[in-house]
Amino acid sequence: MKLKIKLTIVLILLVNICISAQTTYTISGVVTAQSDKSPLPGVTVRIANTSTGTQTDFDGEYSIKVKNGDVLEFSYLGYGTKTVKITDQKTLNISLSEESSLLDEIVITGYGTQKKSHLTGAISKVKNETLDQIGVARVDDALVGQVSGVNIQATEGEAGSAPTIRIRGTGSINGNSGPLVVVDGVPVDEDFLGSLDMNNIESFEILKDAASSAIYGSRGGNGVILITTKSGKEGDLRVSYNMLTGYKSAHQSDAYHTSVAESVALEQEATGTLSDRTRVKQLIGVDNNWQDIIFDGGIFTDHSLSLGGGTERTKYNAAFNYLNDEGVLLSDNFERTSVNLKIDHKLNKRLTVGLSANPSFTTQKRFDGSTHDILRQPSWLPVYLDENSIQFVNRFRDGGRYANAKIGDYAIQRMFDDYDLVAGAPSMGSGTDISNTSNTNPAAKILERDRVIQRNKFLGSIYAKYKIASGLTFRSKASMNYQYRRETRYQGVLSSRNGASASRLDSTVTKTMRWVVDNTLTYTKEIGKHEVNAVLGTSFENRKQTWNTIQGSVFQDDIDPTINKAASITNQDAYEWKRTLLSFFGRLNYAYDNKYLASFSYRRDGSSVFGPNTKYGDFAAASLGWNAAKEDFLKDSEVINRLKFRVSYGVTGNNDFRTGDQLVNNYPYLAILSNNTTGVSGGAQNLVVNPLNIPNPDLTWERQIEFNPGLDFALFNNRISGSIDYYTRTSDQLLLYNPISSTTGFSNALVNLGEVQNSGIEVELRTRNIIKDKFKWSSTLIASKNKNELTDFAASNGQIQNVDSKRAAEWINLEGNPISSFYGWVVDKEIPLEFINDPYHPIGASAQDVYVKDLNGDGIIDDDDKTILGNPYPDLVWSFANDFRIGNFDVSFMFQGSHGAEVRNMGDQYIFNHFNSAQDFNTSTTPDQQFIREKIFTNSIIQDASYIALRNVNIGYNFAEKTLSKLKLSNARLYVSAQNLLYITADGYTGFNPESINNTSATTYGYQRAGSPVFSTMSLGLNVQF
Amino acid sequence: MNYKKEKIMKQIKTILIVLVTFMSISCEDTFLSPDLTTGINAENYFSNDTEIEAGVLNIYDGVQGVNALQITNNDLNHGVQVEFYVTEMRTDNTETKSNEGEAAQFEFFDIRSTNGIVADYYRSYYNVVFRANLVLDNLTNASATKAITYEGEAKFLRAYAYFNLVRLFGDIPYVDKLISPLDTQTAFTRVATTQIYDLIVVDLQTAVANLTDGGPNDRASKAAAEGLLAKVYLTLGRYSEAQTLLESVMDPARGFGLQTNFKDIFYNEGNNEVLFAIGYLPDTRNDSQNFSTEWLNAVGRTSGVNYATLDAKTALDTYGGNRTAFSYREDQSQAGKYQVVKYLPDGDANLGIAPTSSDSRSAGNDWIVLRYADILLMHVEAIMAGGASTTSSNAIASFQQVRARAGLTTPVTSITADELLLERRVELAFENQRFFDLLRFGKANDVFTAYSAANGLGYTSTDLLLPIPQIEIGLSNGLLSQNPGY
Repeated sequence: MKLKIKLTIVLILLVNICISAQTTYTISGVVTAQSDKSPLPGVTVRIANTSTGTQTDFDGEYSIKVKNGDVLEFSYLGYGTKTVKITDQKTLNISLSEESSLLDEIVITGYGTQKKSHLTGAISKVKNETLDQIGVARVDDALVGQVSGVNIQATEGEAGSAPTIRIRGTGSINGNSGPLVVVDGVPVDEDFLGSLDMNNIESFEILKDAASSAIYGSRGGNGVILITTKSGKEGDLRVSYNMLTGYKSAHQSDAYHTSVAESVALEQEATGTLSDRTRVKQLIGVDNNWQDIIFDGGIFTDHSLSLGGGTERTKYNAAFNYLNDEGVLLSDNFERTSVNLKIDHKLNKRLTVGLSANPSFTTQKRFDGSTHDILRQPSWLPVYLDENSIQFVNRFRDGGRYANAKIGDYAIQRMFDDYDLVAGAPSMGSGTDISNTSNTNPAAKILERDRVIQRNKFLGSIYAKYKIASGLTFRSKASMNYQYRRETRYQGVLSSRNGASASRLDSTVTKTMRWVVDNTLTYTKEIGKHEVNAVLGTSFENRKQTWNTIQGSVFQDDIDPTINKAASITNQDAYEWKRTLLSFFGRLNYAYDNKYLASFSYRRDGSSVFGPNTKYGDFAAASLGWNAAKEDFLKDSEVINRLKFRVSYGVTGNNDFRTGDQLVNNYPYLAILSNNTTGVSGGAQNLVVNPLNIPNPDLTWERQIEFNPGLDFALFNNRISGSIDYYTRTSDQLLLYNPISSTTGFSNALVNLGEVQNSGIEVELRTRNIIKDKFKWSSTLIASKNKNELTDFAASNGQIQNVDSKRAAEWINLEGNPISSFYGWVVDKEIPLEFINDPYHPIGASAQDVYVKDLNGDGIIDDDDKTILGNPYPDLVWSFANDFRIGNFDVSFMFQGSHGAEVRNMGDQYIFNHFNSAQDFNTSTTPDQQFIREKIFTNSIIQDASYIALRNVNIGYNFAEKTLSKLKLSNARLYVSAQNLLYITADGYTGFNPESINNTSATTYGYQRAGSPVFSTMSLGLNVQF
Repeated sequence: MNYKKEKIMKQIKTILIVLVTFMSISCEDTFLSPDLTTGINAENYFSNDTEIEAGVLNIYDGVQGVNALQITNNDLNHGVQVEFYVTEMRTDNTETKSNEGEAAQFEFFDIRSTNGIVADYYRSYYNVVFRANLVLDNLTNASATKAITYEGEAKFLRAYAYFNLVRLFGDIPYVDKLISPLDTQTAFTRVATTQIYDLIVVDLQTAVANLTDGGPNDRASKAAAEGLLAKVYLTLGRYSEAQTLLESVMDPARGFGLQTNFKDIFYNEGNNEVLFAIGYLPDTRNDSQNFSTEWLNAVGRTSGVNYATLDAKTALDTYGGNRTAFSYREDQSQAGKYQVVKYLPDGDANLGIAPTSSDSRSAGNDWIVLRYADILLMHVEAIMAGGASTTSSNAIASFQQVRARAGLTTPVTSITADELLLERRVELAFENQRFFDLLRFGKANDVFTAYSAANGLGYTSTDLLLPIPQIEIGLSNGLLSQNPGY
């Protein structure tokens, strides 16, 4: 690769030499500020698309060598950039206006664009200025805290795993509440975000209100994220290289580790002596923190190279990216290679064609285990037997199962049972048992398994744009998105207590092909003060998936495990499905005198998911705006530079739901029988048919109806700018996979049911606190408040359900409360230690049971004493970012926080050993036993999931112009970046990631089972352009 | 030149627009209704005997349940594989090895309404009812002869499911046809046990009339239906009707009898002692079972469940005869703990039992629902007719037949109810009969009270019924009531 870079450099130098072989002369002038005509020192003056440039001096003066036809570019932070074409001028004086002119940047709105000043909906744009210099592996991780109303939560901390994105709260209450992701106009799976290279992204546009997303109709219901990748620009070849490397480490939970030493001290203090068990544990001489072992940290490296340029007719951009992320967990790893190619060619004045191709290859090695399962192992257990611990191995026990244990073998708890303290040796049945599980060593469960997900994706598209007449353009675009996903999971012969007989290899291949054809007709016209922009279009979409799996069981050894080495094939299965979408849409934007704005849109979607009578959904929206600052009475205001009032109303939809069965997900209106089940008859295997679902031919679109008034403003020479939005979003006809009585033969049925309302306020405030030559400081404060309320749940109002029949903690879906509320008993007090059986084994002084409150005072504890214990939705999510520019240094940091959400932390139940038994307390001595209940059914494990994080700290050094020109570079920046250096969790939160949420349905949200930890990263990066 | 080009372009454009409009109108219907290519569209199914029989086998498959070690999802139905928890482990016969976790709630008579195993059993057996109702709803396309058999099988299995449910839960919802999820009235209304028994009796009478003998014992037969109906009659105190049915099965011409070796009942599948069993196949994912391995020491998901209690061990040691060796053994890994040997997946060299599967976690041992020794002992019970004892020679003959096979040949002149109960305990130990036997004999309360007191357990009389699963109560919006004591 290094060689390649060198070759590229040589190539570029050659190109540069060729170009500079023309006649040049010197031009000079003064650059001033438009507002007060004061000279501006330090303005960058550069010949566009070259590395030649200079800066204005203290008096705002500059001189530079140019030639005819060059374009001079004047740029200065906080001011609009100006470009002037060179036509023999000898002097060129320039006045730069402050950034207010930037308001007219163009915003992508879905099947079209619009001037930002004409927007009437709630759309946030995030330009990729430094996002690619944040040390994260995924583009969505970089977006955290950038946009109001968007909550991105690291629900999984594994390398390469996807965060959960919610725009304006949980709208749909079924499985999928995530936004639609559109890359360069092509809708992709949310999963695709993991394949994108941040370096190659130009901007994000986030359509938050229904009026903006209604053009995506049925799939705009949860908001839309439009991603635009970089395109080539006219000019010489520009090369950009970015590299980033760093280290990730986990934030651990103190509560989830009790050392042997601590247990000893605790017991000694409480009882004045040590039990036999504790003494044996102490003797083994090991004091492990399992978090140190399974959160092993990791290095990540990211290289990105892009080449772009073009002529007036042909523009191209090519990018290459390589990322390797070792992740913070033991054995997890994520590797990505991607290429992005984009070419646009103007055939003639009317016809432009283009293509893009984006192959990507990722390999994700998973942490194939559960942290809660590992962390409940005691500290006295070593990973491997060593010289000391081997002396405690009982070679007689379990039928001599451990007779041949040797140093270096995995240590198993049961090996240490039956130790005779008096004899100081393992005994044959008279010693002390210290094990609490017969499972193998927890590290073996991870290290002896190999689970790899390989994804090969190809996203490609071609388009043609034809200008029919002035202002009228026809555009046709076809794109395909192919994904090959192969997951292999090998559970080796040492991975479980059952040895080779439990070894397995599962190999699953999923192939998904999706094509989309869009045709649009766009009309733009300005007549006097009237501005019209209209779009009409159709869209076809087809998705097909095939899935194949094979399982081989029982391997003799772990050497190169392939399916043909399995003793037998124990499972083979396959399915395929297809789904289609057909849409017609239109939008009309109108502006009068840049003051009065209106926008209307309509989309009709037909989906194959619904039955013949309910296939179509109609989604319409309207919005109005008033640019008050352009009115005469404000035009000359010294204070108000911008003031826009807007209001929008729109309907969007959702046809996405998850039932756990792909066939039911795609054909829910049909009664489907499985064709892959067998039964036994006459001692032989026979095909049986079993219904997979209760068909619902009336199933139809879930709707979101949103009302959103808002205002945008800029004050005091644009020193302070921002926006305020209020919204209410009502989701009805919710697509629910609702639990039903099992007497029906099923546990769930798909229905349209109920109504949920999200309402909230979003504030974005941007200030430029100091604008000095050598020192600039700007701040951004973003805050969103959201309230979630179930407003109608028909006959299911008050339904109580659980997510795990083995640990049946309950949720209630009750009108007037959030969709999911934790439900159960209220803790009264802990059971005093004196009544706990064996309080110091296996882990110090913790009971699984607790006294609960008799809320209705009737002397018994029953269902009537249960109440709502909290909910998993944050009330307030905010971020506060500051950017400083001090000379050639830039410094920025961002704090981000979330408040008011709670989680049901089942990790506590596992890790504090609340799974022991019904014999937790002494049934003959403990008083008031009728008031005792298991902690998992109480608010004992409902914990405040609020947090404040120092999300990012970035410090960069921008090489001075002099150095740059010496190095023939146009830009170079060296930077350090850190994430989550500080991460503060709420009092009473015991886990290591308050953002971690298990993937359950929206009616049972907020279940945490230890999960994976929050991690911090420290990285060093270099960005070079020439 | 440009003008010409433009004209061509204009034409292309017109064609394109027409094409798009056309496409969007004409292909709309097929485009938006892709065919189901895997899975079966039920609308066109159940049209002939083969297809309906696949539905009938699906009912058995429901009882069979899912091997939790092969397909791991707590929400799946495990059918008869978890039955020992709700029956045998609620008696003096078995317990968990380590007295830990949810499974230990049974032996301590401390079952919570949130117990996942109870919910699993309830769900599984109502699912069996559903599968039977589905067949009964789709019989119209079966040939005349097959329709009779299929109806018999479906009703036999529906009755079998209800018979277990009604004895375990008491008053329960009455579902005798396919119901929609909107029919919460049916789903959440508990009807009196007598109405449930009426359905069971009618269904089994149909099964007796419709079915024949001679098929494999993992399918319902006339004899199985007669035997099961006899047990229902015994439960209802209809002794003479029971006796008639049992004597019909005992007719030598029917071909049933006792195995000479007790071991062969369990390790020689398809033998003529077994009237009805749930079939399993070793080393398969879909059709193997994991209860066999759960009963071992920490090979399955549990650390060992359904271990024989000392109480059961003593009874077998004293009264088991040569059955004892093939009923329990000492745990090779843990002295003082006793395992059931009737369904070993990995064999036992000392007992001359070969492994039944290469991977003990996918065991193939069939689950025996009804066998001839049970028929003989029920025959004694029918003659005793709720009395304290019997001296009937017919009863004694049946009783002695069972004991003689066990090597207990000393003749008896009378049989008391307690002796019969004890004989059933040792003959049918660990076959999920004990709990129902004690109920039927009216001894459950006495036996459990004494056993609980002796072992420090928490038995009270309300523990005879399981709790209605909390999840059902939670979904019922107050319609469904809980059993007392929960």
